[in-house]
Amino acid sequence: MFPTRLVFKNLLKHKLRVLLTVASIAIAVFLLCALQSLVVALDAGVREAASNRLIVQSKVSLFVYMPESYKAQLERVSGVERIVRWNWFGGYYQDPSNFFAQFATDADALLDVYPEIQIVEGSAKDFIDDQRSCIIGAVTAEKYGFKVGDTVPIIATLFPRTDGAAWDFRVAALYRSLKKNVDENTLFFHSQYLDKSIELGEASGPSGVGVFVLRTAPGVDQTALMSEIDAMYENGPQVVQTTTEAEFQAQFVSMIGNVPFFVNSIGTGVMIAILLAALNTMLMSAREQTRDVGVLKALGFQDGSIFGLLMAQSLVMCGIGGGIGIAMAKMLEPGMAKFLGTMFPGYEVTSTTLMMAAGLTVGIGVLAGIAPALRARSMHVIEALRATA
Amino acid sequence: MSTPLIRLRGVTKTYERGGEVLTVLNKLDLDIEKNGFYALMGPSGSGKTTLLNLIGGLDQGESGEIVVNGEDIARMDGADLATWRASHVGFVFQGFNLIPVLTAQENVELPLLLTNLSRSERRKHAEVALALVGLSDRRSHRPSQLSGGQEQRVAIARAIVTDPMLIMADEPTGDLDRKSAGEVLDLLTKLNEAHGKTILMVTHDPAAASRAKKIVNMDKGRLGDVVDNQPVAQR
Ligand SMILES: Nc1ncnc2c1ncn2[C@@H]1O[C@H](COP(=O)(O)OP(=O)(O)OP(=O)(O)O)[C@@H](O)[C@H]1O
Ligand SMILES: [Mg+2]
Repeated sequence: MFPTRLVFKNLLKHKLRVLLTVASIAIAVFLLCALQSLVVALDAGVREAASNRLIVQSKVSLFVYMPESYKAQLERVSGVERIVRWNWFGGYYQDPSNFFAQFATDADALLDVYPEIQIVEGSAKDFIDDQRSCIIGAVTAEKYGFKVGDTVPIIATLFPRTDGAAWDFRVAALYRSLKKNVDENTLFFHSQYLDKSIELGEASGPSGVGVFVLRTAPGVDQTALMSEIDAMYENGPQVVQTTTEAEFQAQFVSMIGNVPFFVNSIGTGVMIAILLAALNTMLMSAREQTRDVGVLKALGFQDGSIFGLLMAQSLVMCGIGGGIGIAMAKMLEPGMAKFLGTMFPGYEVTSTTLMMAAGLTVGIGVLAGIAPALRARSMHVIEALRATA
Repeated sequence: MSTPLIRLRGVTKTYERGGEVLTVLNKLDLDIEKNGFYALMGPSGSGKTTLLNLIGGLDQGESGEIVVNGEDIARMDGADLATWRASHVGFVFQGFNLIPVLTAQENVELPLLLTNLSRSERRKHAEVALALVGLSDRRSHRPSQLSGGQEQRVAIARAIVTDPMLIMADEPTGDLDRKSAGEVLDLLTKLNEAHGKTILMVTHDPAAASRAKKIVNMDKGRLGDVVDNQPVAQR
């Protein structure tokens, strides 16, 4: 039992000092939530990967192409239902800083193998029927104001046109995605258009296929299937590596570097810095209360109560800061998601993230409070009373 | 003479400083009667504060017994001693020692948090104590908004709010001007005479000491005889 009033009155005694500490804790906790949400976003593709899709890519790297002929061969493998080609186009709209992905793909198969891709405006049939058309994710469409029927000029980098002009794609439809493994930022167009243009000499660039996405039949032994496909091309011409979609996405995440490790390192650094700030405030505050501690002990308050008094101050201070940080993270979630849209689709402040932040807040409160609280607890009443105010 | 309220026998307190042992209280014997008002005098460094702290249960010596109302507080552990202080002793310090962030009323209520009183009872008790020291109108002032004399009267209200039998006052008028000192001494006298409190007061001021019923002199860790104080008028 300790005077709770003293907890708040002592915190309010040095308003500016406590306010600055609370603000820095709030910002740090907010930052931590945001960083963790980025990791969650990066991981979304792995978590939400489809279990009935396999990816075939060159064993060398994602940037090495496989022969076109593989498609027909793969189609004959039993257990494979349907195949979609994906080729990275790597162009840009007006300016290189306007980043969104474009892929050359098999229109019909894409919409069939990826049921999460939902046409929300325009028509799927229009897209499938017109080889010069494309579909665009709703987020990118909104960002650049693309409407169904517009022509979007994409300046190529890997596949320049011989006439030097941009590639024109007519927007047949806009799509949204039901799952986080497909973002809403991408432009999909017809592989046939790209292939034919290269064939006719209207454009140049590497030929072949970046990845094949296979939809497997229900109940198929995927492990066996993956080994079978890998074995087919063991002796070339291009050795392949077949993975599940989840593995493929994970590899993609690790390509950017070990982001979770990086983010955790920053997060740990931020937390240590903030712990030191909170500890500093608590040490100063506790030192100023030394004589009060002596008075309380003289009046008969037990050592444990004194410990509680100082611990409570630390927990309240850190709790308010952390609470504000957590509230900020949740409130700014839509804004952050929009802001990070194309770079980190799937930004989400999950309840796990919030609980982790709450746990860290309490941890900082305990760590910042424990040393001053222990010191006050063990200090002899006479010694404490002698402290100059 | 009836059994004393407080009985000290062979009380010794030493400090070690740089390998040297300093005997601050040297085998003290002392009897303090119930409802007594004692002034403890003596040169600086003679051990007055140390003795007061031992009797008030703030500190403990190496040997000897301090029996208060039948309990030997020299043998109690820290937690029991704290509980004992809360119900038996009120302290008045030279430097007032109010909690700066609390109002007068809150300061006085502080010791009552250790009792079973309800919130409204605590408030009422604190108001009565503040009225007794004549500071009802200052109850929402913080210590920094009070004069030294007023601060010390709030401290006295805090010391008596739990109705302890003992009041330990270490140079209660040491930081006060003559008029404020007089008011504080009037209060202590009233607490002793009208409320039956046993008071032990350390002071350097002969005028303050003259308000006590008995005077004890201390020198170099030893106590002189307890002498009856002659009312000023009769000297
Ligand atoms: N914590 C301590 N460590 C070492 N020596 C101490 C300690 N506290 C008190 N002393 C010594 O004990 C002796 C008695 O001190 P005490 O405070 O009881 O004296 P006092 O009579 O109250 O003096 P004053 O009139 O100046 O208040 C002094 O010599 C002092 O230096
Ligand atoms: Mg002294």
